[in-house]
Amino acid sequence: MRQVLLIGMICVGSVGSTSLHGSEAEPTAEQVQFFETSIRPLLIEKCHKCHGAEKQWGTLRLDSREAVLRGGDTGAAIVPGQPAESLLVKAISHTDDNLKMPPKEKLTDRQIADLTRWVALGAPFPVATKSAAPRTRDPNHWAFQSPVEPTVPQTANAARSNGPLDRFVLAKLEAAQLEPAQPASPRTLIRRATFDLTGLPPTPAEITEFLQDDRPDAFARLVDRLLASPAYGERWGRHWLDVARYADSNGLDENVAHGNAWRYRDYVVAAFNRDQPFDQFLIEQLAGDLLPAEDEAMRHRRLIATGFLALGPKVLAEVDESKMRMDIIDEQIDTVGRAVLGLTLGCARCHDHKFDPIETADYYGLAGVFKSTRTMDKYTKLALWHENPTPTPVALALKATHDEQVTQRKAALQEFIERGDAVVKATLPEGEAPPPKFEDKYPDSTKAELKRLREELTKFEKSAPEMPSAMGVVEDAVVDVAIHIRGNPLKLGEVVPRRVPLVLAKVSAPKFAAEQSGRLELAQWLTQDDHPLTSRVLANRVWRWHFGRGLVRTTDNFGLLGERPSHPELLDWLARRVTQRDWSIKSLHRQIMESQTYQLDSRAESQLVERDPENRLLGRADVRRLEAEAVRDALIAVGDGLDRTLGGSLLTVKNRDYFFDHTSKDLTDYKSQRRSLYLPVVRNNVYDVFQLLDYPDAAIPTGDRSTTTIAPQALLMMNSDLVMKCSSNLASKIWTESSRGDHSQRVTFAYVSVFGREPSAGEVASALAFLNEVEQALATGNVAPEQHQRRAWDSLCHVLLSSNEFIYVR
Amino acid sequence: MPVLDPVSRRQWLQRSAVGFGSLALSSILADEARANPLSALAHDSDPLAPKPPHFFARAKRVIFLFMTGGPSQVDTFDPKPLLDRDDGKPLPFAKPRVQFNSTNNLLKSPWKFQQYGESGLPVSELFPHVAGCVDDLCMVHSMHGTNPAHGGAMMKLHTGSDNFVRPSLGSWVSYGLGTDNANLPAFVTICPTLGHGGINNWGSAFLPAAYQGTPLGNASVPSDQARVRYISNADLPRDVQRLQLERLKAMNREHQAVSGHEPSLEARINSFELAFRMQTAMPLVEDLSGETLATQQMYGMDDPLNANFGRMCLMARRFAERGVRFIQVTHSDSHVQWDQHSDLKKGHEKNAREVDKPIAGLLRDLKARGLLEDTLVWWGGEFGRTPTAEGTNGRDHNPEGFTMWLAGGGVKGGFRYGSTDDYGYYAAEDKVHIHDLHATILHLLGLDHERLTYRYAGRNFRLTDVEGQVVQKLFA
Repeated sequence: MRQVLLIGMICVGSVGSTSLHGSEAEPTAEQVQFFETSIRPLLIEKCHKCHGAEKQWGTLRLDSREAVLRGGDTGAAIVPGQPAESLLVKAISHTDDNLKMPPKEKLTDRQIADLTRWVALGAPFPVATKSAAPRTRDPNHWAFQSPVEPTVPQTANAARSNGPLDRFVLAKLEAAQLEPAQPASPRTLIRRATFDLTGLPPTPAEITEFLQDDRPDAFARLVDRLLASPAYGERWGRHWLDVARYADSNGLDENVAHGNAWRYRDYVVAAFNRDQPFDQFLIEQLAGDLLPAEDEAMRHRRLIATGFLALGPKVLAEVDESKMRMDIIDEQIDTVGRAVLGLTLGCARCHDHKFDPIETADYYGLAGVFKSTRTMDKYTKLALWHENPTPTPVALALKATHDEQVTQRKAALQEFIERGDAVVKATLPEGEAPPPKFEDKYPDSTKAELKRLREELTKFEKSAPEMPSAMGVVEDAVVDVAIHIRGNPLKLGEVVPRRVPLVLAKVSAPKFAAEQSGRLELAQWLTQDDHPLTSRVLANRVWRWHFGRGLVRTTDNFGLLGERPSHPELLDWLARRVTQRDWSIKSLHRQIMESQTYQLDSRAESQLVERDPENRLLGRADVRRLEAEAVRDALIAVGDGLDRTLGGSLLTVKNRDYFFDHTSKDLTDYKSQRRSLYLPVVRNNVYDVFQLLDYPDAAIPTGDRSTTTIAPQALLMMNSDLVMKCSSNLASKIWTESSRGDHSQRVTFAYVSVFGREPSAGEVASALAFLNEVEQALATGNVAPEQHQRRAWDSLCHVLLSSNEFIYVR
Repeated sequence: MPVLDPVSRRQWLQRSAVGFGSLALSSILADEARANPLSALAHDSDPLAPKPPHFFARAKRVIFLFMTGGPSQVDTFDPKPLLDRDDGKPLPFAKPRVQFNSTNNLLKSPWKFQQYGESGLPVSELFPHVAGCVDDLCMVHSMHGTNPAHGGAMMKLHTGSDNFVRPSLGSWVSYGLGTDNANLPAFVTICPTLGHGGINNWGSAFLPAAYQGTPLGNASVPSDQARVRYISNADLPRDVQRLQLERLKAMNREHQAVSGHEPSLEARINSFELAFRMQTAMPLVEDLSGETLATQQMYGMDDPLNANFGRMCLMARRFAERGVRFIQVTHSDSHVQWDQHSDLKKGHEKNAREVDKPIAGLLRDLKARGLLEDTLVWWGGEFGRTPTAEGTNGRDHNPEGFTMWLAGGGVKGGFRYGSTDDYGYYAAEDKVHIHDLHATILHLLGLDHERLTYRYAGRNFRLTDVEGQVVQKLFA
């Protein structure tokens, strides 16, 4: 009925002819008027909100003739001259439940008739409505251009510069007519550098040694000493683990243990400690399984490195297997995108990226690489991630022995059965058919013995020594992936051959071989020296971890919605140093730390603070709270309680077992005195001390941890077992080590242990007064009198460990 | 629109010359602060300060009664005569492409339904007490979700996303509206389950940490032992702690004077004062001794079967009347409580028995105190169950169609909205997706789900992503 009505209306139309059809002939004046009065306002009012410059639902735009003809996910919007063949006409007629436009209101009959007529006319679109100039999706965006060697600016005050880095910073300060702060004192500097490079406070002895070193390169020596300490890798490896969304459990729906993830963690720590060139480090993580290895150890290390791709959270009970597979690939693309490129590639799974020039086809070009990679052994619930065997000779020997014993026991069992069968056979009455299973005819005692033997064998087989293995990937069947329209695995578009995003392909794009997934080529392409993003993103991360804020503050987003660098030339200069010095991170540390910029005091002229409250010009040092791990490690370390053992696993849950299944009982124990790095990272239930202190969400790459200040953190400091215990340990240490001194000397010892400095006379007096007050307060309570003094000392230590001076670095 | 600007720590500290310092003041004054224009300055710096909604708010707070595991719609609030008639026959239409487990033929409900109240809404024998409150209930029979597994469905329900870690609904609400009582968290969750998403279900993800839910205990802890972490210190007399805080403040002030400009130093000083007051405020909520015997009985606390959940519901009311914005109460034992893959009759009977009286008690108590008007009570699980049998006597997960109900907070009472098909498998008429329900709940709180956004990693995020239709027809 409606169809008839529409056709009737078209027939009434008398303007023009159908001669325009597909071609873009100049519309007649009449057509222009019709379009401008009846069609354009209608399109703007009813369609452009979702299909215009701002939004392109279903990737459809209706703001130019080209766009209308190009259409969207479901094809061309119109066939010029053929209203009955045109999706747009069908959509506005609301005859198909799956295709009703506008979705919430039907157009008036008049409007439907106008649009139908317009299509019948061949859809004349007279105008200069070329789509708006692309402020988004700009391929010329700074971060997509390779870094070039910048000119180092001249600066007025040579005394305030140790080299190019400082001159880039000074130039901006001078342009703003601002002076940098004074250099920090050596005492401040050693605390800053030690926490920065090792995540631990300097010991009183280390402080004294540094203060007494009057050689001109004392600080450089300090930096060298810190970089050589294994604690360096524990600290900086942890930074990378934030980016690698490292966790010892899957999280999401089925929170089972990543029982072997720690091997990847230890690999990362070791890579930082031996200053593995960062390009090699990246290549190993993306394609370690495809690299040649000189020996077993190297082969294992490279297999372990690919854990980077395997560690993501997965919906292991996802019932839709094809969705799970694409979700896992998506997580890998998104992680590589954020971690290495500083781009949110994941957005392009369902639609062209809204802001960056990354198209859906770019995404599926990468998806082919990861779909040709085996991450999972099984997708049916409960899905099973792949692990690569990394057997040690000892483990292999144990396994061989066990296997041999299994064989022997099986043979013994077989022999037992054969004997039993023979007895049954012998006693079988003449002519009777043999039973299907002889053992059914065994005497009861023999049956029982057989059962026992079988159970024993099963138990023994289960007791096989566990072979070391590591989460990681290997190659799978090589495939190219079709575009999943709007991300839907059931709606496939054209197949995209494996490739890298076109906007980045200016730097000699890799050729993907037909017989390999392409991970190796991808990794090598990412680490080319002139790659516009990799070295910049890295240099910026390192800067962020030193200063608490990146030159590009959005460390994980260098796209159009990311922030521009505060010092673009400095960023490029650092990026170029990275590639020129063989991607050495330790070299980059030295470059940065030996600058005056790094060594400035946190106090500055009020003018500098007022004019630059956020310290974007880097004219002073920021005062920063310690990260979660450093807070805990420092708390334990000052009481001499920190266990400095390196590496290994503290998990109490077996690989692939649940942390919490349907029960909410917490199976993890955080009582260890090991460094925080080694405590299990349980997604969905991160150690509450860490959770409160802004530990990152281990499900997504994080290059820029936040720092919040909330009351529950204060409760943690006031009431937690951890802080109470550390306070009491510190008090014990003070009593042991200054047993012969008086209270004043003990206060001094406490200040030196906690803050690395001696107290002023006023501070000693205040502390002594506090001790008195606490003792008096305890006198009215139920604490035994002989404990009052000791409890007062616990209390004082508790205060010192809770103080801003201890928790902040300046 | 300053209210919903993404406020980074740096920004909000900077905006106020006094920094976090004024938080202490504003929280001492709690409710009074809202009426006092002199403290307006303070609010700018406090992420949890009360903020005006986008438009008229029908509800000021939410109590979410979460039934872990997925209660069955056809056995509770959505009777299906054809299911009775066709018991044992095959489902006459296709099952979903993706199912959690496989199921057999139709299984009729073991319970009888009856109409109640003036509205005549049907309720099964499982909920005799809630049945007495039907004229306050707004049933949504056409709920549907996307994920048939507990983990995905729970995350979808709590955060709007089943494959990414996103802020939970309670965090969005706290972010949008702040809280009326700065001595308490804006968002509490009582005895939540740690499985199936765990903290992600009350986490703030990329929203500032101030908006994360504060858990009291967890599902394996009896509710009378559920406490906020680190809220008390058995080893430290209160007067000693007071002395410590005084000393600490003096030391921190001296440190601040020599450290250079950093606003969070001041914030941290004041966070200790606030923490000290929270220590006082929290136990007052948890202490039910001031409640009359009649009230306690109303929640079933005199019955060992009801006491655990009854106590949670009563605490929820006490949080609600103290201005906490979002309160979740989770019904879950150490298993996925309502997950009756087998033995539907035994399991659902036990579960309903545990919650029926406390829920009715909560509704009546809120109403008697005039709190139901602006408190939205929300009941349901992460999905419903299949009308077809799993095994012989169980039902499988079913996200395709299920019932949730709302009460108070500006929704119609004694009202049924939407429907499932003749057998209760798929949502049929007036379908309401979880995203739609989220949009609707925000709307009731005066928040436009499309405007409640937070800028993170270069783009604006919202609870409903690109989805969500407000279901206006539910509004009174």
